[in-house]
Amino acid sequence: MYAFDYQRPSTVNEAAALLANGSGAKLLAGGQTLIPTMKQRLASPPLVVDLRDVAELRGIDRTNDRLVIGAMTTHAQVAESAVVASTIPGLCNVAEGIGDPHVRHRGTIGGSLANNDPAADYPAAVLALAATIYTNKREIAADDFFQGLFTTALEEDEIITRVSFPIPERFGYAKFPNPASRYAMVGVAVAKGPQGVRVAVTGAGQNGVFRATDMEAALTNAFTPDALKGISVDPSLMNSDIHGDANYRAHLVTVMARRAVQAAAA
Amino acid sequence: MAVNMSGEVILAADRERVWAMLNDPEVLKVCIPGCETFELDGENTFQAVARVKIGPVNARFKGKVTLSDIDAPNSYKISGEGEGGIAGFAKGGATVRLEPAEDGGTRLIYDVEANVGGKIAQLGSRLINSVAKKNADTFFAKFAEAVGGGTVVATNVDEAGTAAGEGS
Repeated sequence: MYAFDYQRPSTVNEAAALLANGSGAKLLAGGQTLIPTMKQRLASPPLVVDLRDVAELRGIDRTNDRLVIGAMTTHAQVAESAVVASTIPGLCNVAEGIGDPHVRHRGTIGGSLANNDPAADYPAAVLALAATIYTNKREIAADDFFQGLFTTALEEDEIITRVSFPIPERFGYAKFPNPASRYAMVGVAVAKGPQGVRVAVTGAGQNGVFRATDMEAALTNAFTPDALKGISVDPSLMNSDIHGDANYRAHLVTVMARRAVQAAAA
Repeated sequence: MAVNMSGEVILAADRERVWAMLNDPEVLKVCIPGCETFELDGENTFQAVARVKIGPVNARFKGKVTLSDIDAPNSYKISGEGEGGIAGFAKGGATVRLEPAEDGGTRLIYDVEANVGGKIAQLGSRLINSVAKKNADTFFAKFAEAVGGGTVVATNVDEAGTAAGEGS
């Protein structure tokens, strides 16, 4: 075991001050990626700042036409929330399908977004729903937030505080999970709402979550699974690994997109 | 697990200049993603330290870089072997070829064969290809900038290479 400092602040300002002081400090939002990485010795931050006691980062609220979820809200809380079920029911399904019960009770929406794993589920939902990510410094539109593999617009000492979703007319998510990890081999989120039709794909792209604009155009004309017939993404931009090659993933994107539309229409 | 990659870049400088820059430790240091030091350590050998920072992973690799099969200003082979302590190891090489291109530019053609092992390969098996491609693209974008302009024509990651590799 190697030594590192551990702090458990109770406000966002305290947490931000700790990040500013200790260079290389990492935030612990749920620890479902950070802790395994530290156990493997692939990261050894000198300071871990645990956000579990920061009450202002929790909670799920509906305000007029938006659903607002605190950054430290766990996947299980989103999955079981009556407020989410009555506003964006598809988001309950997204949270319900992440990892396993352990991951869902520890992992948080803010942690998932800050990590931006290219096979995580939330980035697709947040991008398709055109959500706004609030931090201790500013607000960031989903389109500007995700910047490729594990890369976001966040600065080193910036903390996600909440995510605000415009409530859509329709939203659906379908994923083909890796049978071992439950990460998305391919996951597609489809939303129809004030921002028009948006389709976001996770797990498939070489550079993380992306929008499938051809599919958006087709679904704007007709929001039905059949509208996607014959529309596929470019396999040369898809990821290849031991679990599936690029052509397979490209094929799955269309299949999952059709299922997502079906789920959204139901 | 094995990673095979190849690609082409058109650079806006003549072959002699590109060759000189490919042999300049200062230029390589600036272009290699995460490179902290890159120092001459003997004839055609260098000591390098690079930090691999991908998402939660933050590990430092120390290694030796060797240039061989030198045919100035046409081609060389650059090989490296890095140790990241408990994080794992990476070793591999790239054949780099230079050909004159239109308008006094230079076409750079590379072929990479690398092996990644240890925990970093285990944890990263679903991501190594994407990360390798991203790093190659970053390197050549910076290199093109250093020589005064250029365009990446193609970056191919060979799927057969990974299918043959060990999984986790």
